[in-house]
Amino acid sequence: MVVKNRLINPGAGFARAGLAGMVFLVMLLMSSMAMAVKYDVVPPSGTHTGEDVPQPIEFPHDIHVKDNDINCMYCHTYARRSNVAGIPPTSKCMGCHKVIATDKPRIQQLTKYWEDKEPPPWKKVHDLPDFVHFTHEKHLKTLAFDREFPVENVKEICAFCHGDVENMTVANKVKPLNMGFCVNCHIANKDLGAPGDCWKCHK
Amino acid sequence: MSGKMNRRSFLKVMGWSGAGVALTGCDMPTTVTLEEGKEEVVSYLMPEEYVIPGVGVWYASTCTQCAAGCGIHGRVREGRVLKLEGNPDAAVNNGKLCMMGQAGVQGHYNPDRITSPMMRTGGSLTPISWDKALGVLEEKLGAVNGDRFAWFTGSISGHQSVLLTNHLDAMGSTNHYAHEVVNNAVSRAVNQDMLGEANPRLRLDKAKMIVSFGADFMGAGQSPVQYAGQYAKFRTNKERGLLVQIESKMSLTGGSADLWLAIKPGTEAVLALGMANLLLNKIKISDAGIPADVRTLINTYDVTTVARITGLAGDRIQRVTQLLSERTPSLVLAGAGVEGQAQGYATTAAIMMLNHILGNVGKTIESAGDFPFPQLMAKQGGTADLVAFAEAAKAKKLDAVIFHGSNPVYSAPKSLGLTEALANIGFKVAISQFPDETAMAADLVLPMDSYLEDWGTQVPADQAETNAIHVQQPLMEKLNAETKGLGDILLTLLKQRKKDEYGQFEDYYAYLRNAFAAMPTSVKNDAKSNDEFWNTALQTGVIKVDSGTKTLQSTVVSFAAPVVDDSAGLTLLPSPRLGLFDGRHANLPWLQEAPDQISKVVWDSWVEMHPDTAAKMGIGNLDLVEVSSAQGSVKLRVVLLKGMHADAVAIPLGQGHEAYGRYAKGLGVNPLQILDATTDAKTGELAMYSTRVTVKRIGPADSLSIVRMGTGAGDSQVGRKLVVTVPVEQVRRTEGT
Repeated sequence: MVVKNRLINPGAGFARAGLAGMVFLVMLLMSSMAMAVKYDVVPPSGTHTGEDVPQPIEFPHDIHVKDNDINCMYCHTYARRSNVAGIPPTSKCMGCHKVIATDKPRIQQLTKYWEDKEPPPWKKVHDLPDFVHFTHEKHLKTLAFDREFPVENVKEICAFCHGDVENMTVANKVKPLNMGFCVNCHIANKDLGAPGDCWKCHK
Repeated sequence: MSGKMNRRSFLKVMGWSGAGVALTGCDMPTTVTLEEGKEEVVSYLMPEEYVIPGVGVWYASTCTQCAAGCGIHGRVREGRVLKLEGNPDAAVNNGKLCMMGQAGVQGHYNPDRITSPMMRTGGSLTPISWDKALGVLEEKLGAVNGDRFAWFTGSISGHQSVLLTNHLDAMGSTNHYAHEVVNNAVSRAVNQDMLGEANPRLRLDKAKMIVSFGADFMGAGQSPVQYAGQYAKFRTNKERGLLVQIESKMSLTGGSADLWLAIKPGTEAVLALGMANLLLNKIKISDAGIPADVRTLINTYDVTTVARITGLAGDRIQRVTQLLSERTPSLVLAGAGVEGQAQGYATTAAIMMLNHILGNVGKTIESAGDFPFPQLMAKQGGTADLVAFAEAAKAKKLDAVIFHGSNPVYSAPKSLGLTEALANIGFKVAISQFPDETAMAADLVLPMDSYLEDWGTQVPADQAETNAIHVQQPLMEKLNAETKGLGDILLTLLKQRKKDEYGQFEDYYAYLRNAFAAMPTSVKNDAKSNDEFWNTALQTGVIKVDSGTKTLQSTVVSFAAPVVDDSAGLTLLPSPRLGLFDGRHANLPWLQEAPDQISKVVWDSWVEMHPDTAAKMGIGNLDLVEVSSAQGSVKLRVVLLKGMHADAVAIPLGQGHEAYGRYAKGLGVNPLQILDATTDAKTGELAMYSTRVTVKRIGPADSLSIVRMGTGAGDSQVGRKLVVTVPVEQVRRTEGT
């Protein structure tokens, strides 16, 4: 959803986004001194054959993740701060693509959206019903940060529920994300503190 | 559908016709689904740094669900306002919010909002463009003679009120009718005469005892959240406050009282004079400042006489009066049931006189000080303006009127003849969010922003300890492109008349920025620039205003002797409640679904009667009855209630809408329609609590109505013990027998 709140001066945040990104990348490099992982996690099991979801721009996850080794949380930066991982704001895409690969048709398509001041109407691939309380923030805290899991490998944690995204172009749903999928994983990892109470998810 | 529909037969019906129903009857957007690739998830183009999807940001604004003007915080997530709470910086409500405020989002997201201007062509309202609407306004208002133009609003304050006054000036008119059904206009008149201030600061929290003559200060009062907060302090003070409620129909406040006394309607003045008699003649409090004629009047009401007239036990009157004299400071309040009598002013004056005698003025009734911006102060409504407006319309004194924030077609008693008289006004404009009865009777309808989309300032009439201006800011983008804010509409109207003066303001936002910049440094605190002051005001939602200290001078005015109407029939009490209020919230399902605080009824109208009165007439609980006054009749079901005086019946306000959208229309009845047009001689206010009615049983209890009427602990809770109750005998806290 687009917000142009009249209280707020639009245009304030953009200039810093590129710089902040670079700082973040540097920090990522520094943290690649791998540390020992504290606890073991049993990954969830189950597969799902998702439908192909055509997106307004055929976004290549593989080029970004596999070829260029960009961390999932660089673009989906809200994952460790919020319930939702969030789709990166268009300004974040343009932070790089003002200069990178500007000759490619997909980037020209993106630039057109940017210049029209309309974010691309991405289609939702992963979703949970409204009666399920799920939070990316808490899962990342428990599965990655509290375990001192090397943050550059966080895609392995993301893959628990989102599959092998680094080999996909546009994302596909490959895990069932149903109650059995969640509960089995919570039972297998109860020593890690995975809650088993109904109300933890059905608030 | 018959009453026999159970779950199984419902599923059967769904089996063969449900598919069609699901496709045609469901207005759920088709994009809400768990299927992959159906729903869009659109990112921000360029978010502010603090914006995190899924995490709410709270903004300050001001509630306009009633005239109290409480400060609110709205939780905004992904550009949508989702939840409202009270603003702790606003002293009026101190971080709390009542259910009407909570339900504000349902007005904002209401599916029945008007989404484009409409004009009456060939008898019906048809959508037109804003350009056309403004063209019509310019032409019609340009042609009208100034003194034949009027604004008809509810209570209004802040900069919108300033613009409205300026528009009247520009039109060469002085006709501003401010109408509120739930008002304290008579008390304001009495306070003005006796204290020199219409809205003194009431300090329930400082009182050791409150005697309330029907003042529902925690329910449908003037500032329910503020007074409920004060009441909480009153109850938890070291010496726990004692509340005595004297009324003819138990209100929410009455339900919380230590002692609830049912008084014969219309005899409150007699009781007040009798209590004054005891205080002066028996307890020997000084009668200084009481005019000789009032002193003589007081002497005629000894306890025996008072007990006979009011139907209250004499020893109980003495006991309450004795306690009042001992527990100082105390506070005596008059409410709508007293103000709305044929002798409302005299009765209220007699009651307020008790505060003078008990020395409460200056202790529990303080001066609100001199508010430095009189032009921003609330223009509070009453019913006298409704009567005056109806008279002016009948006398063909008006050619054009603009309605806003009030629904007179719904709330004027039929006996005023307003609906017919409106035909005499050639050009009627309604600035409205909803297709209410008044908008439906207008010639031009202008769609208004919800208060969560609009700019504004509100100045509460009942200020708390610190006087303040409350700032209203949009919490989100407009839902409908075609709606406009009240301030913007007013500014456009002004530009049509005084282009040179108002042309400099692009919109109401620019006007407000300019007005804030022009405010004196005394309210800007330490703000280093106008921008800083503006940002702080938006951030806190409150501009504190020092109004200095002032001492109230208490005087007692002469008032007429009480006249007790002994004519036959029951007195009809059209009782408002926190929830549907005066009917303005009937289109909010949450408030329809919230049971009446005393009768526990939802989604319907009913008449409350004392069991003894009903038994005499052969009427049983939930029977269908006809309640008739000289002006007409309504048919509805009876709820028997011991919290009634035997000589009164009460019909709650709020239902009986003939328009106002899918949730309000066609539910229940509107008791306002059958009221007499009697007015209080001194103030001209409608005597809404003086109509006599008869009740006739016309049918047995109907099973369908019982489904709707969750009356008490029995059927509505299906044995789930949601609200556990004990018989009143077990917890009887009232004294004596």
